[in-house]
Amino acid sequence: MRAKIRSLIGGALLAVLATGCGSHVTLDPPTIPTPLIDKMPLSIALRIPSEFEHFVHEDEVLGREHWTIDLGRSNAALFTQLLGFMFEEVTILGPDDDAGILSIDALIEPSIDAFEFSVPSQSKTDTYAVWIRYRVKVYDSAGDLFANWPLSAYGKSEQTGLTGEAPLKRAAVLAMRDAAALMIMNLDKSTAISSLKDRPAVAVSAAAQVEAEAEIEAETEAIAEEQAPQTPQRREVVLPPPGPVSGPAELSMGPDDDDHSGSVLEGKDDE
Amino acid sequence: MSRCVQSSGRMLIVSAACLTLSACITSRIEDAREGMTGIEGDEAVVILAKSYHLGNETEDKYINCIEDALARGSKGLRVIPHKQFVDSLFPWFEPRTAPAETKGLPKLMGRPGVAERIADQNVRYIIWLDGDTDRVAGGGSLSCAAGPGGGGCFGFAWWTNDADYNASVWDLKGLESAGTVTADVSGTSFLPALVIPIPLIARARAAACKGLAQQLRTFIVDDPGV
Repeated sequence: MRAKIRSLIGGALLAVLATGCGSHVTLDPPTIPTPLIDKMPLSIALRIPSEFEHFVHEDEVLGREHWTIDLGRSNAALFTQLLGFMFEEVTILGPDDDAGILSIDALIEPSIDAFEFSVPSQSKTDTYAVWIRYRVKVYDSAGDLFANWPLSAYGKSEQTGLTGEAPLKRAAVLAMRDAAALMIMNLDKSTAISSLKDRPAVAVSAAAQVEAEAEIEAETEAIAEEQAPQTPQRREVVLPPPGPVSGPAELSMGPDDDDHSGSVLEGKDDE
Repeated sequence: MSRCVQSSGRMLIVSAACLTLSACITSRIEDAREGMTGIEGDEAVVILAKSYHLGNETEDKYINCIEDALARGSKGLRVIPHKQFVDSLFPWFEPRTAPAETKGLPKLMGRPGVAERIADQNVRYIIWLDGDTDRVAGGGSLSCAAGPGGGGCFGFAWWTNDADYNASVWDLKGLESAGTVTADVSGTSFLPALVIPIPLIARARAAACKGLAQQLRTFIVDDPGV
């Protein structure tokens, strides 16, 4: 009987020591309440990249505690739910799904730029805190990058119980809820996504673009032949931006550049 | 026989310590009224913590304690649990989005569904809590040892906790501030140990909760103009 008690106490002590050395936290998909907002009259698609859907953060705190935070499907669930509340029509796409066949006003692709957290031993307080830096890319109906918005969310929770798992989970959920509030407040302000409503597609597919380039080249050659005795003159041709097949266009535009057929809204980083 | 005398001596010292030492608490509760107050029987209040985005660290425990204390008793107020209220008005009372001043109330009430949702719950007052409990001083030393024949502690330790809270009362009927109630409680705890440690704990946070809740109830229910 004594040996049993001893082994039980030993086991409990080992468990406490093990939790002291680090933790593995797995988040359950959070739910957000139905927001008090008017839906935007847009038809959008949400593309969830696989690294966003299976985000795992590993860190060593002060060189002692090893933490593994598995956000799992929580972010995908959050954005699916949130955009469902924010827009009239939402189509969920997998990482490899082609949005070209859909009749949509915009495509939204979220990602995580950075994940950070602090525990009481670092902050010298009784709280756990989580920061998540998201990036929301908005593409227009032609597949061109229309806006690129980084947003930082923050959640904080008090220490409860013996281990840090529950408060850290709560802090992460609060950070996600903070991101949801920020998206509701500032998505349109920072990305002007509502201006994409019924906007005509300006880009062409990669194949059509190659065809157009060949046509222009032939035309240029014919003109050059006609003007052979004269000084050759270069004709400036503005090509439409590459379509979705060739990947998203990263367009940067200075204030004086006006020869681009499109621009990317660099959203303000909302801290 | 000598063992018995020794044990009685210890008991005597411990009893004497218990009688002479007790935890000390000093508290100051004040209010500053800016407008008339009063509450109908079916009207409710909500207790919320000011945003942690602004550096506030009011503990969840303290909010729950104030909620319980205000709702308790025959003259208890109708208190809507803060989580229920915040969820029902998502996302307008989140730490990032909640109005920091009464100036923001008209704009908030103009948002779709907000005024209706508040009216459904018949919330008359929002009480914003700010502040926390901190350990501000401490000292002494205490050591414990255990051996095959038993164990014990010897020494003396003390610490002081300061519970400093501020409650801002917003009247949703007039969309204005009704005033503030503050509680500043300082409690010094002692831990003398002569074989057995005897904790004499000053519960500063609990005292601040009780004092602030009592004053808040008086502030809201009683109207000095009447």
